[in-house]
Amino acid sequence: MSGRADPRLTQDRRLAVAFVTPAVSVIALIAIFPLLWTVWNSLHLQDLRMPWLGRPFVGADNYVELARDPRFWSSLGHTLFFTVVTVSLELVLGFGIALAMNSAFRGRGAARATSLLPWAIPTVVAALLWRFMFDSQAGIANALLVAIGVLERPMVWFIEATTAWIPVILSDVWKTTPFVAILLLAGLQNIDRSLYEAAEVDGASAWWRLWHVTIPLLKPTIFVALIFRTLDAFRVFDLLYALTGGGPGTATEPIALYTHTIILQHLRFGYGAALSVVVFVITFALALIYIRGLGLRLSGEER
Amino acid sequence: MHRAAVCAAVALIACGGGDEDSGRTVITISSSVVGTDGPLLRRQLDRFMRMHPTIEVRLHRVSDDATQRHQLFVQWLNARAGDPDVLELDVVWTSEFAAAGWLLPLEDPSIDTAAFFPGTLRACRWAGALYALPWYADVGLLYRRTDLVPREPASLDELATFAQRGITNGGVPFGIAWMGARYEGLVTVFVEYLGGFGGQIMDDSMNVTVGAPEAVRALTFMRDQIARWKIAPNDVLTWHEEETRFAFQNGRAVFMRNWPYAYSAMADSAQSRVAGKYAVSPMPAAAGGHPTAALGGAQLAINRWTEHPDAAFALVQFITAPEQQLERAVAIGEFPTRRAVYDEPSLRAALAIPADDARRAVESATPRPVTPLYTQLSEILQIELHRALAGQVMPDAALAAAAEKMNAAIERTGLREYMRRPVTSSR
Repeated sequence: MSGRADPRLTQDRRLAVAFVTPAVSVIALIAIFPLLWTVWNSLHLQDLRMPWLGRPFVGADNYVELARDPRFWSSLGHTLFFTVVTVSLELVLGFGIALAMNSAFRGRGAARATSLLPWAIPTVVAALLWRFMFDSQAGIANALLVAIGVLERPMVWFIEATTAWIPVILSDVWKTTPFVAILLLAGLQNIDRSLYEAAEVDGASAWWRLWHVTIPLLKPTIFVALIFRTLDAFRVFDLLYALTGGGPGTATEPIALYTHTIILQHLRFGYGAALSVVVFVITFALALIYIRGLGLRLSGEER
Repeated sequence: MHRAAVCAAVALIACGGGDEDSGRTVITISSSVVGTDGPLLRRQLDRFMRMHPTIEVRLHRVSDDATQRHQLFVQWLNARAGDPDVLELDVVWTSEFAAAGWLLPLEDPSIDTAAFFPGTLRACRWAGALYALPWYADVGLLYRRTDLVPREPASLDELATFAQRGITNGGVPFGIAWMGARYEGLVTVFVEYLGGFGGQIMDDSMNVTVGAPEAVRALTFMRDQIARWKIAPNDVLTWHEEETRFAFQNGRAVFMRNWPYAYSAMADSAQSRVAGKYAVSPMPAAAGGHPTAALGGAQLAINRWTEHPDAAFALVQFITAPEQQLERAVAIGEFPTRRAVYDEPSLRAALAIPADDARRAVESATPRPVTPLYTQLSEILQIELHRALAGQVMPDAALAAAAEKMNAAIERTGLREYMRRPVTSSR
């Protein structure tokens, strides 16, 4: 209300600014500057294969081309499909595993440690492993499926769009579910046991306890897991690069792989920058939506 | 005393990072140095350094995978790194890198261009200037099982017949194995059938002709091998060089299309079930076409940002000289790019096929289109070829789509206009 500022407050404020400045300038240097640079690049025609064209400013040309580029739309579709399917599977399975690991049983420590193993394997190694398992000639997947009579004869997984997705989804779920499970397990352990006891005394069933105690209290953790997994899945690159190479054709090509091809194979830096900007905008929007959801819930609890 | 310490430190840094080590010029050459390739190159570099005591050559190791190597080079050259000074380039990259301004033109009058095969040299040129020298040539070859096939097939029809007969009589599951995965190798296979039916990917004025009837016949022939005659398994659509070789080496295929390296790789009877039971010939043609081998291999070029162009040029000339090419052919069976080397008696025992056949194969080998857009055009073609072979679209529709997209890509860059302009403004 009053125009007179509290001298201590301004002093505090100055100190705060002094403390924050280094961190903010580092962020500006390593995050904001490259981002703005990429945006600036995306407004130019820059094709390294044809330096005689120069680097003219072309406004939104790259974005117009993008909107008309069927390969961009299909790779965006593949990325969304991959994200929705893997993240939902990982969340459901991870929740189940977390519940199981949270209950008391012998060898619980060992079970928790071993469940993390797939997560510890480098993605490219895991992808090659799955590639071998689904190899048409020598793969164990064909051998098993033929042995139990699901398949009549070995099939070639990677030449049909629909069947090529199967090893892709399986390997990502196999690899990342443990991560989700461990995150959720940490959340489960923070829930006050007395709440369960009280619910039990009140005669609540196990189902009711899960639905009305566990899940509401686990929501912040679920959101954290969702943020991590969604953003990771949306930027998927290495798994598909090593497992299918985006094929057959471009049927499993995610947007990150397409961007990589445009920049490092076709040397179209301007167009590639436009693709990168679009990926950034989408992931940033997703992150904002999640943080919004998470933030509201957190502040709701505090009140 | 402080000053002395600082001076020592400065001297140390200067020594560690500097190029001038006791007056010697240090240059680097990129190499994947795998297998028998590494020791051979080191031996040749040692010889070079003995001849040029003022130059020290270091190997700069890079990935064996062509796509990754391409990516590395793009990053380095775009950042104007002067290292490696001498670049080992895949035949299809030279025009791209030259157009980008990343290579030094080789204008030395001492280069005898007539000594090289014209096809290998054509891929070294861009906009009328020479940017690289051919190091070794790779040509596509047809491998056949001598115990299942009476002689080399005289035509593509006979190839299909022999393959069929080999399956029926020889109890071998596959008639023919080739690399059909969606990658550059598929284009090299296609180029051979295409030439065999009398077609080509692009004409001299950069018009894409891949939608022509000859091309449709070629792709249909490839598709029929899989879908109609069932002499090639569906699996080929996921195979690269090595999967193809393993199928043939394990005795599961009558024919195989592969590069010369497979000849010596399958000779060891401890690992190979077909040791002593195979021979090679050029790919046959259909009526109206001519036998065609895809041209692969490597070229040596000089980094535009090198600080030692003279030393780098001396090294390029040394490695591509007849003596070194002969040594390379004898040691690892790679085909020389100089005509005269094929007259050497020691070469005759070293190559997979008789030296005269080898010379003929390289002589008639077809370079893939020489254009800076090659990587992009090839990718379009790969995708459409693969879709047709997998049965998702008909060959004619796939090739029409490929031609349209390739032409559109060229159109968008204005490359044709650039090529047509009078060559007055030199780079």
